[in-house]
Amino acid sequence: MQTRSLDYRLPDFLEDPSMPPREARRKFLQSLAAATTATMMMGEPKRIVASDEVIHPKPTADACILLWMAGGMAAPDTFDPKRYVPFEVGVPVKEIESTFPAIDTIVDNIKITAGLENIAQVLDRGTLIRSHVLPDLGSILHSRHQYHWHTGYVPPQTVACPHLGAWMAKVLGPRNPVIPPFITIGQRLEGVGESEELKAFTTAGYFGNEFGPMVLPYPAEAAQSVRPPQGMNASRFQSRYGLYRKLVDQHPHREVMSDYQQQSLLRSMENAYRLMDSKDRDAFDIMLEPKESYDRYNVSHFGQGCLLARRLVEAGARFIEVTTEYVPFLNWDTHANGHETLVRMKKEIDQPIAQLILDLEKRGLLDRTLVILASEFSRDMIMEGKPGSTANDQTTDPVESLKEMKHYGQHRHFTGGSCVLMFGGGIKRGRLFGSSAVERPFVAVENPISVMDLHATIFRAMGISPKTSFEIEGRPFYPTEDGKGVAVQDLFV
Amino acid sequence: MNNISPRFVCLVSIGLTYLCTFPSLAFGQVDFAHDIYPILKKHCAKCHGGDEKEGDFSLNTRATLLAGGEHGPAIKQGDAPGSLLIQLVTSTDSEKRMPPEGEPLPESQVQKLKAWIAAGAPWENGLTFAKNSYEPPLKPRTPTLPPGQTGRLHPIDRILDSVRAAQGDAILLRADDSTFARRVWLDLHGTLPPVDQLQAFLEDVSPNKREKLIDLLLEDKRNYTEHWLTFWNDLLRNDYGGTGFITGGRKQISAWLYRSLIENKPYDVMARELISPTAESTGFADGIRWRGTVSAGQTVEIQFSQSVGQSFLGINLKCASCHDSFIDRWKLDDAYGLAAIYSKTPLEIHRCDKPIGREAKAAWLFPELGTIDPTLSQPDRLKRMAELMTHPENGRFTRTIVNRLWHRLMGRGIVEPVDAMQTQPWNEDLLDWLAVDFVEQRYDLKKMMRRICTSEAYQSQAEVVDDPREVLYRYRGPRGKRMTAEQFVDSVWQLCNAAPTLYDAPLLRGDLTEKQLDAGPSLEADWIWSYADANRSPGNERVTFRKTLEFKEVPPRSAAVVTCDNSFELFVNQKRVAASDQWDQVQGVVLSKYLKPGKNEIVLACKNGGEQPNPAGLFFEARWSDANGTLQRWKTDASWEWSSVEVDKNGKWKGKPEWKPAAVVSNPEIWMNKIGGQLKSRLRIAELSQSWMVRASLLKSDTLQRNLGRPNRDQIVTSRPNQWSTLEALDLNNASSLDQYLTRGAQHWIDQHLSTTDLIDRLYWQSLSRAPTDSERKIALECLEKDSSPSEQIQDLLWSLTMLPEFQIIR
Repeated sequence: MQTRSLDYRLPDFLEDPSMPPREARRKFLQSLAAATTATMMMGEPKRIVASDEVIHPKPTADACILLWMAGGMAAPDTFDPKRYVPFEVGVPVKEIESTFPAIDTIVDNIKITAGLENIAQVLDRGTLIRSHVLPDLGSILHSRHQYHWHTGYVPPQTVACPHLGAWMAKVLGPRNPVIPPFITIGQRLEGVGESEELKAFTTAGYFGNEFGPMVLPYPAEAAQSVRPPQGMNASRFQSRYGLYRKLVDQHPHREVMSDYQQQSLLRSMENAYRLMDSKDRDAFDIMLEPKESYDRYNVSHFGQGCLLARRLVEAGARFIEVTTEYVPFLNWDTHANGHETLVRMKKEIDQPIAQLILDLEKRGLLDRTLVILASEFSRDMIMEGKPGSTANDQTTDPVESLKEMKHYGQHRHFTGGSCVLMFGGGIKRGRLFGSSAVERPFVAVENPISVMDLHATIFRAMGISPKTSFEIEGRPFYPTEDGKGVAVQDLFV
Repeated sequence: MNNISPRFVCLVSIGLTYLCTFPSLAFGQVDFAHDIYPILKKHCAKCHGGDEKEGDFSLNTRATLLAGGEHGPAIKQGDAPGSLLIQLVTSTDSEKRMPPEGEPLPESQVQKLKAWIAAGAPWENGLTFAKNSYEPPLKPRTPTLPPGQTGRLHPIDRILDSVRAAQGDAILLRADDSTFARRVWLDLHGTLPPVDQLQAFLEDVSPNKREKLIDLLLEDKRNYTEHWLTFWNDLLRNDYGGTGFITGGRKQISAWLYRSLIENKPYDVMARELISPTAESTGFADGIRWRGTVSAGQTVEIQFSQSVGQSFLGINLKCASCHDSFIDRWKLDDAYGLAAIYSKTPLEIHRCDKPIGREAKAAWLFPELGTIDPTLSQPDRLKRMAELMTHPENGRFTRTIVNRLWHRLMGRGIVEPVDAMQTQPWNEDLLDWLAVDFVEQRYDLKKMMRRICTSEAYQSQAEVVDDPREVLYRYRGPRGKRMTAEQFVDSVWQLCNAAPTLYDAPLLRGDLTEKQLDAGPSLEADWIWSYADANRSPGNERVTFRKTLEFKEVPPRSAAVVTCDNSFELFVNQKRVAASDQWDQVQGVVLSKYLKPGKNEIVLACKNGGEQPNPAGLFFEARWSDANGTLQRWKTDASWEWSSVEVDKNGKWKGKPEWKPAAVVSNPEIWMNKIGGQLKSRLRIAELSQSWMVRASLLKSDTLQRNLGRPNRDQIVTSRPNQWSTLEALDLNNASSLDQYLTRGAQHWIDQHLSTTDLIDRLYWQSLSRAPTDSERKIALECLEKDSSPSEQIQDLLWSLTMLPEFQIIR
């Protein structure tokens, strides 16, 4: 005899006796679509119905864009200016705090660094956090910190943890049924260093493929992912699907057609066809953007990614990550020549981010779209890790005083305090939150906010209770580690 | 045994049948599991279920329901209005009303409860609100087999037929021959049945032809191995890329695993070699040493405990490796006991990542089978653990693996999930019998597969499952299985003749007999070095050799063998092709894919080892047949050149090399006596293996495979998705790799020069293992006779066929 307790909910339509059976069947199949979950190691994730029913907060945002500054964006050279010392041969490195001068922004009491003039003009639309603290994970390893920042759990874990976006896809589902709810833009997962480590968190993990990311490494080619294969025109694509449907319908074994696996494949194929054959797919094609607007974004891959994100949010995407791309020793990962690299990085992000905010605002979307800019940690001219850290010095050219330009920049990883920007989605406007120490080490001193609490804040905005949990292999998993994250209410309007 | 009453069982069937009969509550039928249980669970069980017994009333079972509580029986069977339960949930007195908090029950739910009581309050056997208290037996048990019916005396059928009979169900219908053939081919080889072999099978009139086919497939060692490699790679988290490799924190067991499967190594031997490992199999026990600091719950010692528990015993020690488990009986000390067996140094127990000031003591999970002396050396402890794991009385070990095989072959485990062996099986007799049989067959994996595949149960028509969210599993035949990513990719390659020529797994494929290996021509290459008296090459001497060769056309099949005393790196046209620092482990290389028309260059960067003068030598021989069928060679001899300038890791010269002629080493017998045979056989394997389709299981995961459900093997993941998502379907529609396969497939079929109707027939046979029906043929004809490019038409037909549920679901 078998003993087993049950834990599931009746589909709502079954509660409604007025619904005719055929309608019921159709709805039933649709609800199955939502329930399509990869069989996981220990059975599919089970929603835990705690004795205290989880009450989700009322969302202040419907969509979320994460702008990921991959590789460690140095706060003193971006959004938290300190004492600026220009390059000069012979200057002791320890005297330098910022390698860019401060500039004014549209908000009176906020200064950021040169090169971010466009973002400076939109800071009145959001909050600048200067007190984000990262955990000390021992040796400073980008992909480990990125895993932690994207999943809320420190690797390695005994199970594959889902990305933030997968949580939103799982709990909230898509806004528009044909636009995948979780999309990542700009990160290659093949052919770059540490790609296996990147794959480990760019995943829906234990939620299964259904909630996994649509990966769009090249924004300019994103349209291809929802288009018929290269070289296939629309009419051939339609007739190919027509041929397929005819063959499905002529299948001699009618008796197996109601099988859930058959239905699952046919339904997925139909959804994909619907997306590829619908107007919605235009959202993926940044070439359709009017030239004037396109040009404002077209300063970098990242800029193109911002444009793509905006178009997808307009079309109904739920969660999008746009990254400057993590490639070891490239982009924000400045182990040498940091200043000159940052001149380029700022050019790549400044105008597109400002434009993204303005465009969302112009379209009336900013109020309900949460835009976050973050990085796995900050950087410093001399300090590796944070005070007391045992991490090894990671700069490739250690010098006591500047000899040439490549020595000028933030070449050490710093976890004691970093900057985050949050725009829209119910977040206060024109606000500075938290601060870092005036003197080195620039640790967060006022209102420190951890990854856990920052995540809880993001989930709070999206209307997901941090107490939401799923039972995986008998262990409850939450959007923030063990459900402990607490949203920072003070950040909300 | 399940003893669900037949009357009730027909209502348990979930899904469409049930949905269509949904309004029939009026006829007195009540589906307890779907209509009543959720209501009780949501509104009542919090205070009256599990350990809770408010008012001395528990809902855990029908008996406790009928018994009632302080206020008397909760229900009167057949009398809804007279039942206390209905009176309380409909009471307008807020003091009395149930549930005491929140809104009263909606009317629709009250009606359901009333209908249920009116029908006599049927309950589903096995359903309970009580906590799970099942504890699986450890020892093996030999159940008595029921007598069995005429012609169905296979032990599995004797058990399952009696289950069906007890349920009042008829004998399951047999799957037809081509369905069976497709199923068994995909299950045992992972590929589609080749049409000629399939047709020979269909035409065979011998009564035991299915058994013959099963044996034939199992005897094909290579195809069996390269399919089941996927199962084992998942179970033992072995892969050719993944986290951990970046810093050398992880070792593959690929070559060991491949050989084990080729040899059909008994499972107990495999387990012993994994727990108490050799240099080749140590990757499993050693786990992954990730970069950076790792929590106490993921050290390699604790990983050992978790992996061994999960893979071999279906025990989840992940909870218990952090604290005493909340969900089963395993304790922190159990997880650390296993870890301490492996640990080479004293191991401090950590609870929730904090040391508790106590050292772990090596101990094994089931002391009733024997214990491990913690004072033994680590290798001896592991050896002892391997003995205990494979102890003939360890029924958990055998039940776990036979259940996994049953799950793979029958589409659903006897215990589900397959990694949670503390769950009650739906049929203990079946599980126990298989486990005992497995031991009697000396842990022979193929014999167990043969046992399952030869049963009528396996050969029955597959169940149609309308709703997988089952309440209680009831056996209705095998279930459809979604092709794994590897099966799908292999099948498409087969159909399109589009497999790649390279593979990533560091192993030599196949199982060639000595005779086959001896059949090849003899070797002609010389051992060379920069001077003839290479017996006294100084230690650490570096020499780089090269040879160029012109090809008008690249020979389609050329293979090479290479070794060097002591180490070499082989570059062909500046591509690094092979390397080794073990001169007595000879490398076979498939060469054609690196060659190009025109001038080709081979560079061998060689190094002698040691500090003192010692022998040095290089041996390389490539072979192919030219257009006239004449055997050609590219081999080390005095025509090679050498330079002391070195090459970088991309095969580019670090300086401008000056060339001097190579010298034939005067005493080759010092090597040939030892490895002459190996050189010859490795070259032969490399030559022959070029005609074997490369299998997806031998490749690193790519975007397509990953999107189709091949797991990142950073954790052990033993189940693949059995449904599809829209994202996967997008890939199936337009993944460029798939599109390329189909394009090549179209060309392949055009090159066959078949008539249109023959082509359609062939495509149906190859893809679906059957002829098209008239209407299917007509539709396909319309497609192929359209006024567009033939290649595109065939591509579209290939695509449509491979996207059919009939193609992608093994039924």
